[in-house]
Amino acid sequence: MDRRTFLKTSAFITGLSLISNQRIFSKGQEPASLVLVKDGSPEQMADKVFELLGGVSRFISKGDYIMVKPNMSWDRRPEYAATTNPELVSKVVTLCLDAGAKKVLIVDNTCNDARRSYKNCQIQDMAGKAGADVRFVRDSHFIETDIPGGTSMKKWLIHKEVFKVDKLINMPILKHHSLSQVTIGFKNMMGLTGGNRGRIHRPFPEKIVDINRVIIPQLTIVDAIKILRRNGPSGGNLKDVEDLNTVIAGTDRALVDAWSAKVFGKDPKSLEYLQLAYAAGMGEIDTEKYKPVTFIYKS
Amino acid sequence: MKKNRSITIRRSIQIIFLALFVLTVLQATYPFRPWIPPELFLWANPLTALVTQLAGRFFDPIFLIALLALLSPFVFGRAFCGWICPLGTTIDISDRYIAKKKYPSTRKYRPIKTIILFTMILFAVFGIQLSWLMDPLPILWRSIGIPGMAFFFLLSDTVLNGFYNAGIFPDTVLNIQDNISAYLFPVSTPRFPMLLLPFMTILGILLLSRISRRFWCRNLCPLGALLGLLSKFSPLQRAVKEESCTSCSVCLKKCKMDAIEDDFYSTEKSECIFCLNCGKDCPADAITYKFQSPKTMRSSTDLTRRSFIGAGATALFGSGLFSLNALNPSKTDRCIRPPGSLHEDDFMERCIRCGECVRICATSGGCLQMSFLETGLEGLMTPISKYRIGYCEYNCNLCGQICPTKAIQPLDLKEKQKLKVGIALFLKDRCIPFRLHENCIVCEEHCPLPEKAIKLEEKEFTDPETGEIRMVSYPYIEPDLCTGCGICENKCPLEGEAGIIVTREGEERF
Repeated sequence: MDRRTFLKTSAFITGLSLISNQRIFSKGQEPASLVLVKDGSPEQMADKVFELLGGVSRFISKGDYIMVKPNMSWDRRPEYAATTNPELVSKVVTLCLDAGAKKVLIVDNTCNDARRSYKNCQIQDMAGKAGADVRFVRDSHFIETDIPGGTSMKKWLIHKEVFKVDKLINMPILKHHSLSQVTIGFKNMMGLTGGNRGRIHRPFPEKIVDINRVIIPQLTIVDAIKILRRNGPSGGNLKDVEDLNTVIAGTDRALVDAWSAKVFGKDPKSLEYLQLAYAAGMGEIDTEKYKPVTFIYKS
Repeated sequence: MKKNRSITIRRSIQIIFLALFVLTVLQATYPFRPWIPPELFLWANPLTALVTQLAGRFFDPIFLIALLALLSPFVFGRAFCGWICPLGTTIDISDRYIAKKKYPSTRKYRPIKTIILFTMILFAVFGIQLSWLMDPLPILWRSIGIPGMAFFFLLSDTVLNGFYNAGIFPDTVLNIQDNISAYLFPVSTPRFPMLLLPFMTILGILLLSRISRRFWCRNLCPLGALLGLLSKFSPLQRAVKEESCTSCSVCLKKCKMDAIEDDFYSTEKSECIFCLNCGKDCPADAITYKFQSPKTMRSSTDLTRRSFIGAGATALFGSGLFSLNALNPSKTDRCIRPPGSLHEDDFMERCIRCGECVRICATSGGCLQMSFLETGLEGLMTPISKYRIGYCEYNCNLCGQICPTKAIQPLDLKEKQKLKVGIALFLKDRCIPFRLHENCIVCEEHCPLPEKAIKLEEKEFTDPETGEIRMVSYPYIEPDLCTGCGICENKCPLEGEAGIIVTREGEERF
């Protein structure tokens, strides 16, 4: 079933791109709000994502303070697909800085030891070289934040800088997760929370949505270059890694997660948190109705 | 003045060695790329070398560097204590503030240190290693490495977070903090449940100076006793020009070690540490230090036959008691030893409680802690894993890399990742899915093993009250895969005792 859905999706995407080589706007006249790029190098795909979305300047203004939130949570090398592709992150950092961003901050509250995780996932070195401020997260960086409309929690510890930055770019990696089936953008925001995070797992869908009520990314770029099929989110087995060489991005965070889930081979409607997010008005989840603008590099 | 210059030189050398020692402590950190081995001072310590190898019945060539210190008294007497020993320097520094300005004679306590030395050696003959109890260098290592580190971390964290939260140069503060994290301390505050004992030990040693200066060195230090005994043949000697001496008694009163006899001329060779203070303070300039033929000088053996027999009897009965002191197996069930540890008896004989593994672990996964009485009196301050505080990082093998006596064997990373220190088991009365029939999976998602030692089984659950049927993922453990790293116990979201614990069942020792 998984494979079939996956094949269908791939066939659909390929078909779509064959029909048209020009931009397709998903919502009529506005610039694309959802894009899917495939088979380029990470740098190329990052470039193309922004190009299709209407240029970096659509998101970044001169002097902006940007936060990029990749997944750096595990002490794993990039090929294990437990953490976001470092080349993709670095390229996004470069694009932001070239567009005039004053500062690009990268943080993640890791599951393994922060120093090991930052180092081993290579984002610290590569994004740091690209000019980002890669910072460790400390207890003192969190503030207790009210969650208006929260159904399962009214308050939680959230990273301070979330509320200081001009734009937040969420850069999750597409992975298997035994509780939510897949972990994508919504779950990635857990890296900006503190406290006893294990508790967020119960009831998981409600809490994930509640966190996303206060942490609102303006852009979500999903790394599906290498995905973790099984044993997520920490992985550790190369047999569980699959090359999709795809990047999905968009401004509607729910829709991006829905499409990423579909690319993974899951029915977005079966994801409880997406249903809740839709009900809370966080975005669309109907992948039949809203399709991405697609670009495929020919090898 | 020339005399003052020699004091300056002596102090500089002391400070250099203390700084080196502190540097060896700071080097014990992730990322581990030491330019001085953190074990250096412990390897160079003849007492550690003697007692550990004797008790453990092994020989490690690295301890041959201890011969340097062991042979030094044949030339320089106890100069090691006055010029090099970092604990001696620490005591000298604190004595400036702690010691009373009176100069009581403490000669009657002098033999205690020799009795301690012989007791330690005799215990070692019977296979019980007591180096950890009284050996100055392991004591200092653990004092700086654990309470010292915790204290400085707290201090720097408090000050820097204060600046950060007040918005004063926040970027500079973050830079400093991230650099501290990159080279010295972990990112999150290290936690130690057993700070008190190592702290009280060093505090006690420093406070003894309320009785007299360098009280520890004069009367208690077994390393000092060892070097003192070998100083008998030392040609270096304090010499007093009889024609100049006015018998003013300044030297006698000011001697740090109470080493000068009442006649002002003779010196107790096993006590003099050549601090050169008497030469500086002498108003008549009557004191010099020179090499002479050893035979002309007096020295005394501190140990009487009676105390020697006493030490022997203590060691005999004491080691017997240690051996018979059976531990309640159900209590030690959860005392997980570091990966690569020797079998328990061998481990106890070798572990000198220097705290190097605890310190380096605190900068990585943070599970290793000093035990209190969990592993018995004999196991005081030995490292055990406390998984509610930290866990064993999958990609870390540093505790074995750093152990000076190889009580924890060095393993390469691949070997360590497969080594079992125990096996996890679920406490089903606590674990959320078993107790509340709700999904949790936190332990499963953290399990670092490629094949996952914790797996999930989805089962239908019918709520007895509402009749509602839902699918719940119940975790289970594959005991063959589990290595007991404890990340599951550490990350379990329950308060207090976790719903999954690691026991020593199936542990692999060397």
